[in-house]
Amino acid sequence: MIITATGIVKAFGAGDERRNVLDGASVEIREGEFVSVMGPSGSGKSTLMFTLSGMDRLDGGQVLFDGRDLSTLSENDLADLRRADMGFVFQQPTLLSNLNILDNVILASMHDNRRDVDSIKQRAMTLLERAGIAELADRDITQASGGQLQRVGICRALMNDPKVLFGDEPTGALNSSAADEIMRLLAEIHRNGTTIMLVTHDIKVAARTQRVLFLLDGKIAGEFEAGEYRGASEELKDREERLMAWLTEIGF
Amino acid sequence: MQMYFSMIRNDFLRSKTTTLITMLFVAAAATLLSLAAILVVSLPAAIDTLMTQAKTPHFTQMHAGEVDLDRLAAFATERSEVEDHQVVEFLNIDGARIAFEGRSLAGSVQDNGFSVQNENFDLLLDLNGDVIKVANGEVYVPIAYMQEGLAGMGDRVDVAGKKLTVAGFVRDSQMNSLLSSSKRFLVSPSDYAAIRSYGSIEYLIEFRLDDLSALGAFEAAYADAGLEANGPTLTYPLFRTLNAISDGLMIAVILLVTSLVVVIAFLCIRFTLLAKIEEDYSEIGVMKAIGIRLTDIKRIYLAKYIAVAATGALLGLALSFAFRSMVLENIRLYMGEPEGSTLAVVVGTAGVAIVLLAIVAYVNRVLNRFRTISATEAIRFGKSQDQPPSARRFRLGDNRLLDTNVFLGVKDVLARKKLYVTMLMVLVAAAFIVVVPQNLYNTIASPSFISYMGAADSDMRLDVQQTDDIAAKTAAVSAALEDDPSVSRISMLLTRAFNVRTDDGTDERIKVELGDHSVFPLVYSQGRAPAADDEIALSVMNADELGKSTGDTLTVLVGGEARSLTVTGVYSDVTQGGKTAKAAFDDPSAEVMWGVINVELASGSILEDKIAEYGERFAFAKVSSVDEFAAQTYGGTIRSVGLASGVSIAVALIISVLITLLFMKMLVAKDRHSIATMKALGFRNADIRRQYAARSVLVVATGVVSGTLLANTVGEALAGQVIAQFGGSSFGFVVDPVAAYVLSPLLIAVAVLAATHFGTLGVKMTTIADNIKE
Repeated sequence: MIITATGIVKAFGAGDERRNVLDGASVEIREGEFVSVMGPSGSGKSTLMFTLSGMDRLDGGQVLFDGRDLSTLSENDLADLRRADMGFVFQQPTLLSNLNILDNVILASMHDNRRDVDSIKQRAMTLLERAGIAELADRDITQASGGQLQRVGICRALMNDPKVLFGDEPTGALNSSAADEIMRLLAEIHRNGTTIMLVTHDIKVAARTQRVLFLLDGKIAGEFEAGEYRGASEELKDREERLMAWLTEIGF
Repeated sequence: MQMYFSMIRNDFLRSKTTTLITMLFVAAAATLLSLAAILVVSLPAAIDTLMTQAKTPHFTQMHAGEVDLDRLAAFATERSEVEDHQVVEFLNIDGARIAFEGRSLAGSVQDNGFSVQNENFDLLLDLNGDVIKVANGEVYVPIAYMQEGLAGMGDRVDVAGKKLTVAGFVRDSQMNSLLSSSKRFLVSPSDYAAIRSYGSIEYLIEFRLDDLSALGAFEAAYADAGLEANGPTLTYPLFRTLNAISDGLMIAVILLVTSLVVVIAFLCIRFTLLAKIEEDYSEIGVMKAIGIRLTDIKRIYLAKYIAVAATGALLGLALSFAFRSMVLENIRLYMGEPEGSTLAVVVGTAGVAIVLLAIVAYVNRVLNRFRTISATEAIRFGKSQDQPPSARRFRLGDNRLLDTNVFLGVKDVLARKKLYVTMLMVLVAAAFIVVVPQNLYNTIASPSFISYMGAADSDMRLDVQQTDDIAAKTAAVSAALEDDPSVSRISMLLTRAFNVRTDDGTDERIKVELGDHSVFPLVYSQGRAPAADDEIALSVMNADELGKSTGDTLTVLVGGEARSLTVTGVYSDVTQGGKTAKAAFDDPSAEVMWGVINVELASGSILEDKIAEYGERFAFAKVSSVDEFAAQTYGGTIRSVGLASGVSIAVALIISVLITLLFMKMLVAKDRHSIATMKALGFRNADIRRQYAARSVLVVATGVVSGTLLANTVGEALAGQVIAQFGGSSFGFVVDPVAAYVLSPLLIAVAVLAATHFGTLGVKMTTIADNIKE
């Protein structure tokens, strides 16, 4: 198991308003797996991702990441862990507007080892090429489309060869063809061995993942084993239909 | 109302520091403005009271020479507008002949004169505003000497050998002002008669008119009548101006400081407000989207600033009442209790109200940014979409030199230059106001300064003054020193008074120091020392007054006949009131004012012994070390400049710290998305704060270097102007490189970095979840 979360609780608000967004959820993610989390708005999908990656502190329960209990780690340890072993893709590209695209990709790697700039840049260019946007490397982030920027974000997340790539609605702000391309890229990354956990409300995105977790009222209400997706469009249609049927069954 | 109140309270609790700092500056601005208003109202009122009580002449003609009293009386009778006239004697006695408890006024810049009380008008008043009646043996002294700490009640005053006791102080509606070059002492008629032969008589020919509006016509008539006019003409409006000047200057300084404080207050408001808008960006977008009117949104933000500004203004108003008597002290002393204090309160309050309104208007203007907030953008991105960055060529991928965090900090400053301009300007100004007074202080405190301030750069000096037969006594001292083997060099200089014929044909008295001026050479700002008998050098003040420069000729009455002397040089002088001259000839017939002997010793270690030895041997001579002489001559100035330097360093540091603190808080709020992103990428808090420190270092370095450069160019020129006021010229900074180029910059840098440290504590509180989670 790369991630083992047991009975996690996370509350927001103060006083009478305080309520548990996560209310005893338990999740296990295996190494090399491609998992998605679905659920209605406000069900705590993003919060689940933030707590599993140590970006949000828990109010109860336990998260083991690669065997390390996140609640015992300091802020600095968590920062180091994110830099070394995790990659993130958010709904918005969250790139630094001061830096050009290449600099955005190499940012975190430069933090640890700027002596080896050439090999860092080499790796970044390889990733940008794989993402099909190598020609954008020298551009400002204002000179690229939303879909392109999202691919930049994915390249940035892959720079340190993370143990887990987290995605919080990575296609949420994109049109359907751009979203399609992103999902194809993620699938390819997964095939190369990276563990991916996505949060999504989009059935088309979830249908491409191996396993779908359904979050309701802060707990995992069920999970759907979809198996490996091979990439054919008829297969995808079939997976979507099966997933839809399951979701309807459990009351989505 | 309830909603506004709770919003203001919540906002205040969330940003205590910035709100308090803003309030503080508003309070300071309000205090100063209110004080300025109080002064503006009180000053003219007090001047009016004084000039009414004293029955100040409407027209005064000063005159040196014979006066035809009958002709004047005839003129006065003939002119119907003349209500009254009088001719008053002003007995000008050299400062060297007046001593308070043994301390002479030789160094005084003023023309010190003695008078008796007038009967009808131009009355000299005591500190209660009553007309002074002087008893025999008493003297009333100009207030200025009391304020300088020179004279106190009951002090013994020696005037040309006549012993008098200080019985009080004179409020003089004509000559109160430090800018008026004459000062009047008041004595009884019989004491006046006793000292009359020790000075030169000047006449004040004074008129009171029925109607002040006739003054212009009267002035012209007086000039046309060809009456006595060897001296300046002074009028009622001019006396008003002279009386107003020193407090007027204070008002000007307060207003200057006020505008600085108001600018800072506005900067504070701007920073906090922009930070707040950044913070609330998406909420503002939402409010716009759901159709709340712009004016209503603005009102919510205005409410807070009205509350802050109003509290600050009230606080300031209260403080101004506490400081009121302090700023009015001078007016009370010189002119008496000002009337119209209610008006002062009204005007002061109005001034504060104006500041308040200006703040509200300013906040309103800054809030106009709301117009440009697009509802969709705000909701979609939750932050303003910045302009495309500049400094494209400065790439992380090309950086092998700098630490990545340092690089990111530098890059940010280069990419968003406009954002950092305010902070830069403040730091440039801070460096400037730290370095200039410091260099000025260092310059005038340096030992060599005296040689271009008009005195010899020697070890010891002996002054012979306030005694009889000064020439013979000085020569005796000089002879004794010539025989002393421990003395390596001496120069004996006798100062005598001469009359100089000015270009308009009138005579003017100047003091000329006679002797060999090559022994201890001065630094001449123009030309060289006089050597031949037909040569003379003038101090800057005398040269200006006589309108002479190097190469011109000057007619001096030597031994009763006019002699043409060539001006060989002009030098700076702060001694003896700055009006001196030097020549190499001798004229035993001219009146001796004082004698000076400059001495250089073979060894500096025996200085104290020699001072004691000669002090005992020649009791009539004042023996002092030159350092001590310098301290006495312009020690007060050195101390004032030193104090001003200290104050400006403190002010500069406080402003730098406050502005940096606010600016960093604003930046952290503005950059919170980037901060959250970097945290998500695995940057530690310390990494991010190092980026902010790098930004500060870059800005502070640029600011301090530019400020120091400005200080040594523009600042040096400005300081030269100040020094010129003391009669100095050819001014150049003597810089202490360690203090000016290492310690001061370091001090500012440390202050700014400390402020950056505290200003960026908010980085820790900026969470990834709050700023990235959708």
